[in-house]
Amino acid sequence: MRRGIRNYLVFLRRCALIAFVGDARYYLWMGVLTVICLLGLNAYAKQLVHGLITTGMSDEVSWGVYIANFTFLVGVAAAAVMMVIPVYIYDNEELHDLVIFGELLAVAAIIMCLAFVTVDLGRPDRFWHLIPGLGQLNFPASMLSWDVIVLNGYLLLNVHICGYLLYCRYRNRKPSRWFYIPFVFVAIGWAVSIHTVTAFLYVGLGGRPFWNSSIVGPRFLASAFTAGPALIILALQIIRRVTAYRITDKALLTLRSIVQVSMLINVFLLANEVFKEFYSGNLHVASSKYLYLGLHGYHALVPWIWTAIVFNLIAMVLLVLPLSRSLKWLNLTCVLCIVGIWIEKGMGLVIPGFIPTPLGAMAEYRPSLNETLICLGIWAFGLLCYTIFLRMAVPILQGRLTQANEGLPGGRPGPVPLETQLRPQAASSALPPP
Amino acid sequence: MADQPPNARNGKRPKTALVLWGLSVAFAALATVFGLNLWGYSNPLYPIALVDRAFLSTDTNRRSYADLVRAKEDLSDFDCYACHDKGKPPTLRFDDHQNLIIPREHSDIVMGHGEHGRNNNCFNCHNENNLELLQTRDGRVLKFQDSPQLCGSCHGPTYEDWEVGAHGRISGYWDRKLGPFKRQDCVNCHDPHSPTFQGRKPAPGPHPLHVLPPKAPPAASD
Amino acid sequence: MPPLDSFSTQSEPAPAAGMTRRSFLRTSAVLTTGLAALATSLRPLLELDDYTSVERFMQKYYKEMTPDDMARVLKRIENEVQKQYGIRPHVRDLRPMDGVQFVYALNLTRCIGCRKCVHACVAENNQSRNPEIQYIRVLRMPHGSLDIEKAVHDYAPESVPEKGHFYMPVQCQQCKNPPCVKVCPVHATWQETDGITVIDYDWCIGCRYCEAACPYWARHFNFTQPSIPKDRLNPEMAYLGNRPRRQGVMEKCHFCIQRTRAGRYPACVEVCPAGARKFGNVLDPTSEVAYILRTKRVFIQLKEELGTSPRFFYYFDV
Repeated sequence: MRRGIRNYLVFLRRCALIAFVGDARYYLWMGVLTVICLLGLNAYAKQLVHGLITTGMSDEVSWGVYIANFTFLVGVAAAAVMMVIPVYIYDNEELHDLVIFGELLAVAAIIMCLAFVTVDLGRPDRFWHLIPGLGQLNFPASMLSWDVIVLNGYLLLNVHICGYLLYCRYRNRKPSRWFYIPFVFVAIGWAVSIHTVTAFLYVGLGGRPFWNSSIVGPRFLASAFTAGPALIILALQIIRRVTAYRITDKALLTLRSIVQVSMLINVFLLANEVFKEFYSGNLHVASSKYLYLGLHGYHALVPWIWTAIVFNLIAMVLLVLPLSRSLKWLNLTCVLCIVGIWIEKGMGLVIPGFIPTPLGAMAEYRPSLNETLICLGIWAFGLLCYTIFLRMAVPILQGRLTQANEGLPGGRPGPVPLETQLRPQAASSALPPP
Repeated sequence: MADQPPNARNGKRPKTALVLWGLSVAFAALATVFGLNLWGYSNPLYPIALVDRAFLSTDTNRRSYADLVRAKEDLSDFDCYACHDKGKPPTLRFDDHQNLIIPREHSDIVMGHGEHGRNNNCFNCHNENNLELLQTRDGRVLKFQDSPQLCGSCHGPTYEDWEVGAHGRISGYWDRKLGPFKRQDCVNCHDPHSPTFQGRKPAPGPHPLHVLPPKAPPAASD
Repeated sequence: MPPLDSFSTQSEPAPAAGMTRRSFLRTSAVLTTGLAALATSLRPLLELDDYTSVERFMQKYYKEMTPDDMARVLKRIENEVQKQYGIRPHVRDLRPMDGVQFVYALNLTRCIGCRKCVHACVAENNQSRNPEIQYIRVLRMPHGSLDIEKAVHDYAPESVPEKGHFYMPVQCQQCKNPPCVKVCPVHATWQETDGITVIDYDWCIGCRYCEAACPYWARHFNFTQPSIPKDRLNPEMAYLGNRPRRQGVMEKCHFCIQRTRAGRYPACVEVCPAGARKFGNVLDPTSEVAYILRTKRVFIQLKEELGTSPRFFYYFDV
């Protein structure tokens, strides 16, 4: 038992130390992210002192970019785990190890979500009021209480699965199926639930007709499964470039098909929404009018939403064409997906729900500099976390950071094992037609 | 960088060194900016004037004659028989269009109780035989402090509402067991000669936290 | 081109054998400046004045407080207000009366849009003057339409009422089925037995979900420390009512709980020059609100179709 704990602590220590080791590109990347984090931290300190008046929010528009980013990132977290389905349900060997990268992205995304929600609170010192037992969690009536439970549960699930699999690989042991397979299947269902619960936060509000619609839930999932795998496609290519980790193009193409189908569904649902809002000409369309056309002389969001729609349509067309099988076009498509969906889910969902106010007043929202710095700081922090996770995970998966080489001077990871060196290298970027 | 031979340690080291020194400089700069508070916080609030205390007053619209009597104020202005003779009903004069001519001594009265000259006769309400009393159309004689009954003799539904407290302002205690309540008389809000509520300047409107940017000029198609 | 495994030719790790003095200096330079930047980034927190205290942090939920707890809390609030404003207030924890269900009736024929109710409420309930919080919002509606989207909030004519319009003041409707209570994640807001929906200002975490949920825009948030002029402070306070709030918590109309639970009319009723506002216990058949609900024929409950069942009844006399 004591030996087991000691082994684990050594493992953690080595993981922690390896985060500080890297080449110039690594230090530059981590350094820039740290600078941005520190700027965000300073901005948050100002917000703690002066209150949320440092943001662009007001009684009229009482949720802003914090909740917009939160909504987007819950989708990314949910989708990251959807890579798991091809592997465990369809037995796709290509994606097997990449599941860990997806789940680590989910962990980083959830950390960012929790950070965004915390900076949005007016009294973060009273967070303990949310803890069931200690505080007064309003479960099951309040959807926010569901969100607290499912997000933290999801975090623990993914930390367990990744941690267990990585630690087993570190100790060169075959992981016991019972310690992770059930959790993986729970995580699949849980992933859908975290995003549905987040959607229900909005859908459940009868006083906001823009949100009180049954299409919000399915749209959330469709857009999440577009943006999430798109992010993973980009992340995997970066991993492939900076480490020797073998990632086949076939894996990337499998992810591409997920993005393809999801984007088609997303655009179809958008068409549904637009038709419903504008065809019948009833009176509750003020928020949609504000978003797509402008209302009473105010139209700050109109260029944003049309950019998002154009990006999504171009991405959809590219995804349908075989052109996007080439990595160059695929990367462009992924960027278009991510940006388009970030706009449409963030600014295009959260802000128009508040304009006009329930009493018909107009308002506009513009994030303040302080608010923007905090958002960038949290994004940088999330990327920092993800990079650190990968910095630990990749050597473990490659077999270079194992229990066997614990004794090496400085705990330095050893040379690349012969087996990894002899694996066939990736082909050129243009792939053969199917 | 990707096509350097594997043992290019010495070639890579200066690059890492450069990055690390660069980071030190960046962190030091940040520490300076933060530490010396060079990037402070500017208060976004704009000044909002405190509301005039007149808007907070619970005074009624006007004070009636009965109020003045109750407050035992100087009533010399209201002594009818200082000018009129007792026992001699004052004469009313009308012009060619049947409109009442207000005598110069009562020029502060503006007659507006009913349109098209419906209520044009002083003695519809005032008692011509005793100017210190009021009268109804069906001959009841009332004191000034009972004026609501006079109003109610024509304005029945409103009077019913007023009796219960549904018309006109009630102040004090809703729980009558715990304290007194005050129901205003008709004339505390309505000038009996010209009862329509007068307009007044409204109190200031709302001041939003972030002032709305100016509207875009309407497009030609708007 | 096969990607190079960069880690087999990487630079040194953190303090270990084989490090030169230069690399040690370099590493410590980065670490030291990094830590300095981290520490100084928190410098604004030095200006944090009375953000919380151990006592306030540990304060129990209203419904779980014993009378002793409450007495201590009330005393503490009195001390805090005295320290900040120089006036010793009288803070009470008033409980709902039995057999009481408050109802508010508003006569739209009589309202002239003068906004005196707005400011009387602000004065009575110690609301922040800058930034401005007002529980009541008077809407100017066009003759003949109840479409809220046609409402004008910032009318400022020389004289009200204006021809061709009517005025509709909106505040918390104290709904029987309140969406704000449903969505609050920590039960910081709930409806009491006499019908008032209250907020425990010391329990609210400031997530603003209730503000998003309210269909009447009745809930307001303290985006920064509220500012109340000392000479306009109302010292008669209630725990769930008009005691001064802090930065980061919600507030809203509570039917002047410090007055109504002592049997008095709310400030808005007392100040209305036209007598348009009617308040009382609907369970008492002799009250004016019971009479109005019995005899008037058409009532408007705002956004009735949302199922919130407001306690606010708008009606017209003529």
